Amino acid sequence: MMRIKGIVFLVIITALGFLISWISVDPMLESEIEYQASIANGALVEIDGFDVDLIDLKIRWDRLQVANPENTMTNSFETGEMELDFLFWPTWWERVIIEDVILKEFRMDTERETDGYFEIPEEVKNEEQSFIAKVVVDVTSEISRNAQMEFTDIKTNINVDSLMSKLNLQAPDKIDSLRNGLAQNYQKWDSTLSNTKINKEIADIEKTINAINVKEIKDPKKAIEAIKNVQKLVRQADSLKTRAQNLKKDFQDDFGSSKFSAGRVDNWIQADFQRAMNMAKLPTIDPGNIAQSIFGTNLLADYSGYLEYVAIARKYGSRLVGEDKEKIERYEGKDYKFSDKYDWPKLWIQNIDLSGETKTAIQLAGKITNISSDQKKTKEPIIFNLGGSDDSNRSMTLTGEFNYLGDDPRETINFTYDGFGLKGSKISPSELLPYPLKTGTGEVSASVSIIDKRFDSEIGYKAKGIAFDFGQNPSKNRVQQLIRDAVSSTDQINVTALVDNLNGPLNVKVRSNLDDLFVNALRNTVSKEVDQARQKIESRVRSEIGNRKEQLLAFKNEKEAEIRKEYERLENRVNEEIKKVEEKKKELEKKKKELEDSLKNAVKDRIGIDW
Amino acid sequence: MFLILKYIAKLLKALSSEASPNQLAGGFILGMIIGLTPVASVHNLIILIIVIILKVNIGMVILAFLVFSGVAYLADPIFHSFGIWMLENESMQNTWTNMYNNELWAITKFNNTVVLGSFVTAVLLCAPMFPLTKIGVKQYRAHIHERVMKTKFVKALKGTKFYSIYQTVVRVRG
Repeated sequence: MMRIKGIVFLVIITALGFLISWISVDPMLESEIEYQASIANGALVEIDGFDVDLIDLKIRWDRLQVANPENTMTNSFETGEMELDFLFWPTWWERVIIEDVILKEFRMDTERETDGYFEIPEEVKNEEQSFIAKVVVDVTSEISRNAQMEFTDIKTNINVDSLMSKLNLQAPDKIDSLRNGLAQNYQKWDSTLSNTKINKEIADIEKTINAINVKEIKDPKKAIEAIKNVQKLVRQADSLKTRAQNLKKDFQDDFGSSKFSAGRVDNWIQADFQRAMNMAKLPTIDPGNIAQSIFGTNLLADYSGYLEYVAIARKYGSRLVGEDKEKIERYEGKDYKFSDKYDWPKLWIQNIDLSGETKTAIQLAGKITNISSDQKKTKEPIIFNLGGSDDSNRSMTLTGEFNYLGDDPRETINFTYDGFGLKGSKISPSELLPYPLKTGTGEVSASVSIIDKRFDSEIGYKAKGIAFDFGQNPSKNRVQQLIRDAVSSTDQINVTALVDNLNGPLNVKVRSNLDDLFVNALRNTVSKEVDQARQKIESRVRSEIGNRKEQLLAFKNEKEAEIRKEYERLENRVNEEIKKVEEKKKELEKKKKELEDSLKNAVKDRIGIDW
Repeated sequence: MFLILKYIAKLLKALSSEASPNQLAGGFILGMIIGLTPVASVHNLIILIIVIILKVNIGMVILAFLVFSGVAYLADPIFHSFGIWMLENESMQNTWTNMYNNELWAITKFNNTVVLGSFVTAVLLCAPMFPLTKIGVKQYRAHIHERVMKTKFVKALKGTKFYSIYQTVVRVRG
């Protein structure tokens, strides 16, 4: 009854199946995970010693390296040996559910032996820039704007001629081009109004009206016929009026946009002036500009770097939501669900226990929970809580939540790094504060809250117990010396950067407790020089542009008046013609009545009956 | 080609007198289940294992599979409706829910309308098809076999090179 050969065949096939999966699963899975993670990271992600144990349901690796996209010769972080358990049944539904992961030897900013560059596929490169990525670009451009400001090198004797020759003013050309455009537009209207068929039709109506001689009409029938003709003329004249009104509307619309164009002239002049100011490297001396110039570069550069990770989290958090759209095809049948037991996301790492150390040797430990490809299925947001300290009282905490459960994605992140020594370091890369510190400790804190496209964040920096090492000799640079005098009296620096878009465009503000000290020092000295140089440049820019704006406005007003006059002449002619036609109609109706009355009287006289 | 010819020849041989009617009928109903239900199903893997282990006639399995695959192509909408009726049946809801929550049952994809409809239909058809096939085999041996062997198709089959090689192999193997 049983086939012995069949049983042997089955045993061999089963053994072969196990062998093949044993050999091929590890490299296949490893390469797929590395590829997808590298795309997400923007640089190479490498796993060494990857092993999937299908019997014990475990995944292990010896080392994980995540290259830094900004510097591919270093790793953003790496981990040592790791082991995780995954659930068996979800794999039948092509789902990977991992309950616990223990990540040891987590280290940040480590050196790589090989370049971690990764060529991102074209289709991923061409994806539309995400909202947070745009914020990163805006913050980066703010940083480069700060870097251009120079407070220490203010020139009092500016060579305006040389500056203007380099500047290449743009406003005059733009004004001339606008004038040409307006001239063409006026010419078009001139020709439209003089060549319009309305004029010819008015003349035709007039001719027809004049040809009707009421006195010569002796017969009521002829009078009725003439009235009918005049009624046609009334309709024609009404249509002319409508056409003339439409013409007026088009004309006004056209002039509305011309008016708008003329309003841009001031902006062009202002832009030229601003470029001249930038070229002359004349800063605006106010607290915001100074704080941004001194502290903004460092704070915002770090900030935009970390924001990129939020952009990645949101991109992958929201991209995978709704991944399992139910597919119902005829004759493939329909799957019924009797419970939500198998409603798992494609990937769900329920808990990661992480431990390791930072580059500055702070022992970090903490948890990351519920990393999933679809939070709507897990009903849990990603929550992370990491922290640690070292023997010298330096401490670091990082907490946050990436919540994609609602309609609007929400991210909140809080970070603090406290107690790090500042001895020997410079507080700012700015030329305003080139002095290293003799003593002091620092504290950095950042809080970021993003709800869909509303963005609110604050970065704080505190340097406590500081003393600058000014060296032996006073600074040769006057402004530096002023700043030096101002900061020598303080032992603490507090800086706060606010980055938000709560009122529309991205707003970056940097404030510090030194702002007033700096502003006062600068205002008392260089402020006057800056103002003088500014006036020089402004008057030169205005003289170069000359009275182009006034000429343009005068030309515009003159031409508009001409065209308006021409239109009014046309409108009057149409109205006059309507009036004439109406009068002719009345005359004809009167004549018709007279003729009818006389006819009636004649009939009465003949038959001798008065009715 | 050789494999198909081999099984056609085996089937003809089995039909003539070699195999018992039970082996042929068993092969027929197992092939019918595979043919009527979606091929890539867990239950078909189990049936395939049964086919390999039990001494059912593999030629008959293939024949039934081919015939009933065609039938299933036309009957899928009916299986779908039958599946809906069963899965939506009020009195069965507890059973389905319990089965659905058990992973072993869940991987059989019984919650798919076509899978359930076609499988239940196939199982129900087994009851009449098994004795009918046995009767058919006996009738074939008594009345039809001689005539089949004289048909041009079988003569042509016997005339092919493959068939003579197959016969030689069978003789050598004993």
